[in-house]
Amino acid sequence: MKNNGRLDNARNTRTLSRWCLAGALLLCLCSATARAQLTIEIIGGGGDQIPITVLPLADEETFPQRISQIVSADLTRSGRFKLQDIGSVRPLPSEPNEVNYRYWKNRGTQTLVLGRVIQRTDGKVEVRFRMLDTSKEAQAVGYAYTVVTSQMRAIAHKIADVIYEKLTGEPGVFSTRIAYVARFPQRYELHVADADGANSQFILAHNEPIISPAWSPDGTRIAYVSFEQHRSIVFVHNLVDGTRRVLAAYEGINSAPAWAPDSKKLAIALSKDGISQIYMIDADGTDPTRLTNSGAIDTEPSFSPDGKYILFTSDRGGTPQIYRMSVTGSNVERMTFEGNYNVTPRYSPDGKSFAFIQRMQGRYSLALMDLATRQTQILTDSQLDGSPAFAPNGRLILYASIVGGRGILAAVSSDGRIKQRITSSAQDVREPAWGPLAANR
Amino acid sequence: MKRVLIALCVALLVAGCGSKGGSSTSGKAAIEQRDVSTPTQDQQAAEEAAKQARIQQEQEQLKQQVEEQKRRQEEAARQAAAEAEKPVVKPLADSSMTGKALADPASMLKDPASPLSKRSIYYDFDAYNIKEEYAHLVEAHGKFLLEHKDLKVRIEGNCDERGSREYNLALGQRRADSVKKAMTLIGVPAKQIQTVSFGSEKPKAPGHDEEAWAENRRSDIVYVGVDAQR
Repeated sequence: MKNNGRLDNARNTRTLSRWCLAGALLLCLCSATARAQLTIEIIGGGGDQIPITVLPLADEETFPQRISQIVSADLTRSGRFKLQDIGSVRPLPSEPNEVNYRYWKNRGTQTLVLGRVIQRTDGKVEVRFRMLDTSKEAQAVGYAYTVVTSQMRAIAHKIADVIYEKLTGEPGVFSTRIAYVARFPQRYELHVADADGANSQFILAHNEPIISPAWSPDGTRIAYVSFEQHRSIVFVHNLVDGTRRVLAAYEGINSAPAWAPDSKKLAIALSKDGISQIYMIDADGTDPTRLTNSGAIDTEPSFSPDGKYILFTSDRGGTPQIYRMSVTGSNVERMTFEGNYNVTPRYSPDGKSFAFIQRMQGRYSLALMDLATRQTQILTDSQLDGSPAFAPNGRLILYASIVGGRGILAAVSSDGRIKQRITSSAQDVREPAWGPLAANR
Repeated sequence: MKRVLIALCVALLVAGCGSKGGSSTSGKAAIEQRDVSTPTQDQQAAEEAAKQARIQQEQEQLKQQVEEQKRRQEEAARQAAAEAEKPVVKPLADSSMTGKALADPASMLKDPASPLSKRSIYYDFDAYNIKEEYAHLVEAHGKFLLEHKDLKVRIEGNCDERGSREYNLALGQRRADSVKKAMTLIGVPAKQIQTVSFGSEKPKAPGHDEEAWAENRRSDIVYVGVDAQR
């Protein structure tokens, strides 16, 4: 049983990386600007995986993007599904009335995905998919999308999201985007990519460091810290029109931008009045209001999803620890007590826990604290982890790590069971940030 | 020897070009050409003899030159040996040298014998206090700034790569600010001192070990307009 699982995992990894490679090659042909492609490799898994059979959609092979393969890769990467083989019955069914339910039930298939891709006379493409419950011999969900060919990859992610949500009860994150920083010799690039690492493009590039990208909750802007003027300055970059403006360029440090849930304000760290303190500032850069007044380092604010609280890092107690305060700066409460170095708190999307970095025996590991029980779970066992970023459904946490002297991105499920490693052609990748769920779901 | 080879090559080339020119000429001009350019056996022999003589002469000259050079070197070595045995008598350096150095602060800052040539203050992990061993260094730069009101410094705070980038950025600022504070305490006007933090973003040592980390937990004193920007 154990052996089977390992074989399956290995096969999935191979298939995935083959697809990522194909995708990367395709992208290189399409876009000269995309120099740092990501490759996602699942390095752990298991637990209660949902078995599912995704059949090739009829006629999908005549299009550059094979929908069923992108859907399968998405579901596999989430770690929550066990992709089963497609059996031997031919021709493959593409409509419910062609399905021999007895055959699939005998194979142990509970959930079957099928469909068809149709080239329409107006040049558009119709993608039809259905998910069938073989025990009920009925459709669980089904949609038809009419799109242009360039949107087929996006539609595949959307189908994976629908399947994920139907089977887990939680939103899928396959249609979301991530941001990260790629470092080349003498060059830093801020990239935005699809959640599967495809379509990676930089939105800013220069030869000084870029850190702390943060997506606005409405998905239209990214705030970040750039050293292009040889000191830390916070910018807000509009992804819709590509323009950007300075959010804060006061004397001293301007850093650690965190968006309020309404996308209208940000909490940031400024040292304009002496030492790094937390301020609230309007998204247009006006009206910074001081929230902390500690005489110690206060930085790394993170809003609770309801906008009522801010978690932050402070060394007011002698060592850096995580504190929580109300959004007005009152009722400050220390949250971490184990160890002498707890930093970079990030609220989970449901507000029930927070991820942070904890130093234990010289290791900097990703940890998760449950706010109700105040129990901490260590999720990683590497040496230098940092910059955690929750997927918008809270299931995965992206983070930065160092492997073999090189910066990589990695992801771990919030229960610690599924692990992914994301590598790039860049010298280093770091500072991941996960964008919000698509608004028009 | 080299010259001889070159001479031979030139001669061969000239000969080659000549024969090429002859064979490629059209039939119409053939007679005329024979008259002008085909040397007789005697002429060829004479030219060859002259050439050999020239080569021999050049070889002789070269040999002489080499021997002359060798002789001179030997003479110089003998003189140097004799010189070394003589007592050395030198005038004492002018002791008003310091006055001159003050007029050129850049040279004083770069003089490796001066404590001012040292510009880095190192820290323990997660610490920003100036350790006792660096107190005199900070004081020396402070006094120098007091004496040179026209000079400005930028204190650059840095951290090792471990832990949070954002916390390190704040810590680097605190390191730089602590150096600034120590200088202002001995009277240096704040306007002569800027501070900046690079956090863990610009590690001087690229490694991922204790040696690299120790080198990167550092404040640098950079004289604006004197030192090159990193």
